[in-house]
This record gives sequence, C-alpha cells and structure tokens, in this order.
Amino acid sequence: MSAEYSCLVVEDSPMMRQLLVFALSRVKHLRVTEADDGVDGLRKLAAGKFDIILTDINMPIMDGLKLVKRVRSDPTHKDTPIIVITTEGSQEDRQRAMQLGANAYITKPIQAPQVIAKVKELLKIEH
Amino acid sequence: MTEKKSRPPKRAESASSPSFEELRQQRTAFVSSFFKKGAEITDELVKENERLRGAARKLEAENAALRTQLKSDDAIREALKKIEALEREKDALLSQFSQAEAVTSTFTARYTEIEEELANLANVYVASYQLHSTLRLPAVVQHLRELLAQLVGARAHAVYVADEKRKQLVPVSCDGVDMDRVPRVQLADAAEPPKGGAAILERVFLTGVPHIEEGSLSEAGFDSPAACLPMRIEDRAVGVIAIFAVLPQKERFMAVDFELFKMLAAHAATALAGAMLYSHADGKLPGLEVFRDLEAPRSG
Repeated sequence: MSAEYSCLVVEDSPMMRQLLVFALSRVKHLRVTEADDGVDGLRKLAAGKFDIILTDINMPIMDGLKLVKRVRSDPTHKDTPIIVITTEGSQEDRQRAMQLGANAYITKPIQAPQVIAKVKELLKIEH
Repeated sequence: MTEKKSRPPKRAESASSPSFEELRQQRTAFVSSFFKKGAEITDELVKENERLRGAARKLEAENAALRTQLKSDDAIREALKKIEALEREKDALLSQFSQAEAVTSTFTARYTEIEEELANLANVYVASYQLHSTLRLPAVVQHLRELLAQLVGARAHAVYVADEKRKQLVPVSCDGVDMDRVPRVQLADAAEPPKGGAAILERVFLTGVPHIEEGSLSEAGFDSPAACLPMRIEDRAVGVIAIFAVLPQKERFMAVDFELFKMLAAHAATALAGAMLYSHADGKLPGLEVFRDLEAPRSG
C-alpha cells in the first residue's frame, strides 16, 4: 500500500518527535519524514515535496517561526499546510506563527487524537 | 196456399242482403283494416323491441360500470394490503436501522476508547523508550525533564535523589523553578519533622506510596505538590519526582498521566541509577566476566 500523503515533522526533542510519529502512524497512507530542527527541515523540504508540515516553535539553530516564514516565501511550498506546536504560555508565538502563514496550532502536552484530527482536517481526509 | 204466404217477396229479399259489390267493398275494407292493424302492431313491436334493446344496453352499461367499480374496490383493497405490508416492512427496517445505529454508536465509542488507549500506550512506550535509550546522565535527566514537561504537562518540577549519608532528599534537576527555591527535605530521624510539601515528599520517599492530586490542579504549589512519585529500584527507594505546578490548560490529571506516573516510578530510578553508575565508571562497560557467576536457568 503506497503512501498518498507525505508529512514533515520538525521537532528537536526526540521524545516529542517519536510521539508525533506514533500518532501520525494512525493516519492511513501517510508517510512521515523527521527533521531535528528548522535547518534540517528546510533541507528535507528542498529534497522533496510534502503535503503537510508539523513544526515545533522552540528549537535550536532555526526555530519554528523562521521555518514558517521560509516555507511561505518558497514558491514550491507556499501553499503547504503548516501546523505549529506551541505551549500554552507562548500565545505571542502562536499569534506570530499564524500571522506568518501557519494554518493551525496544537498546544502541548499533545494528545495523539488531537494531532490526528488536525492533520486529517488539513489534508481533507474523511476517515 | 200457406206456402205462398210464408215465402218472402223476391224484391224484398234482394234489398235486405248485401250486394256483391258491397261484399267486395266490405272485404277490401276488412283486408285493408287487417293489414293496417298488422302494420301498426308491427310498428309497435319494432318500437317495443327498440326500447327493450335500449334498456338492455343501459343495463349492460350499468353492469359494466358496476364491474369496474368492483374491480376498483378490489384494487383499493389490494393497495391497502400492500400499504400495510410496506408499513410493516418500514417498521422492521427502522427497527433494524436503530439497532445498527446503536451497534455503530457502540463501535464508535469503543473505537475512540481504543484509540485513546493506544495513544496512552504510545505515550508510555515513547517515554520508557527515551528514558532507557541512553546511559549518559545528562541525557537521561534531559529525557526525564522533557517527559514531565511535554507529556505530563508539568510547568514546575524537580527530581530528588536520596543522599543516604546525610539523610536528605537532594534536588538534582528542576524545571520551571529556580533550584534555590526548591524545598530541601530532611529525612525521618531529623530533629524537626518536615512540614508542607517537604512532609509529602518525605512520606512518599519513605512509604513508596505516590501522592497524586486527583482533583483540580490549579492550587498546586510547593506546599501541596500536584504529584510526588517515588523512584524505586525493586524495594529500595532512590529518590522522588515532584511536580509542583502544571500548565494552565491542564485542569486535572488524566488516565494517561497515571500510566506515565506508574512507568516513571518503575523506570526513572533504574534509568538514573544506570546512568549514574555508567558515569561513575567513566563510560566503561564491565567485561564479560560479570556473566560468569550467573546461575544457569533450570530446565523443566
């Protein structure tokens, strides 16, 4: 069974990344690629096309906000849906991410059903 | 002489009897009248016949109408029977639909439950996997901090390790709070028994029974931690994990948190102790001689 959708997960914490990958494995026909930080994310984006991007905001080297800005200025990925992962306290970051072009946000601690629902919603997957 | 007197006179006889002409006229009149009467009767019979035919046609038409009416009534009765049968079928289908809906609803609820359980198991698996994925002490501590912050949603927490010589619980890591502010805990035989949050920490360490706030977490703090979890290796207490505050959106602990707490109580101590030993040995692993004294497994 080949994957119909591809997703890029950009998260510096191995634990969170693994958890996101586990959650996303529940979405059928979704191939997940992992990136350690914003720069690694850009590298992966340059190498292929993705249907959706999930990114943490607080990351070393290049944070999620910069990544969102870069993605939106890239003609190849300017329309790719982006979900940012934030903490409740960082409301400013969340607003900034949405202003920069993110499509949705998920608040930590993340719940797998919430992640799955948001990804399905943006990819317009019904089941 | 008498005979002559009784005989009527010849002239008088001819005068009283009708003449041939008269008879002929009478016969003609009679025949004419007879035929006229016959024609009239025939006309009347034809007319009567015509009338009777009309009446018969009318009766036939009425009869046909009645037959049609009868057929129509039969069709209505048939249609009513069909309607009744369809109504029964509809009721049966509605009943089946309701049953199917109930089953679907049950399955949906069960599916959601299973998805949640699966997500919880994934959380526990990821947490324990990460805790044991390294023997480097800073990495283990970092994973522990991440686990508490990212999975449990702890805003302020500390990890205490027991200093057996000084009979103290010493904070070795904290997040969301300055290390200076984290309460120190003197263990049992201190002159002054601890109070507030320190008392809870001490009790958890000594008894091995976790303290987990099951109600609202909004009032949690140093004096009443949201959760205190013993870190034990088999029966030996090694330290305590204290969660002093949680993220604002976390109103209370959920099922997955309790599972994580159980996992932490069982795994955090071994992960930390393993990393401490590894650090103490400067990252060297012992030789295979450590396996020499292992008892061979008994068969049967």
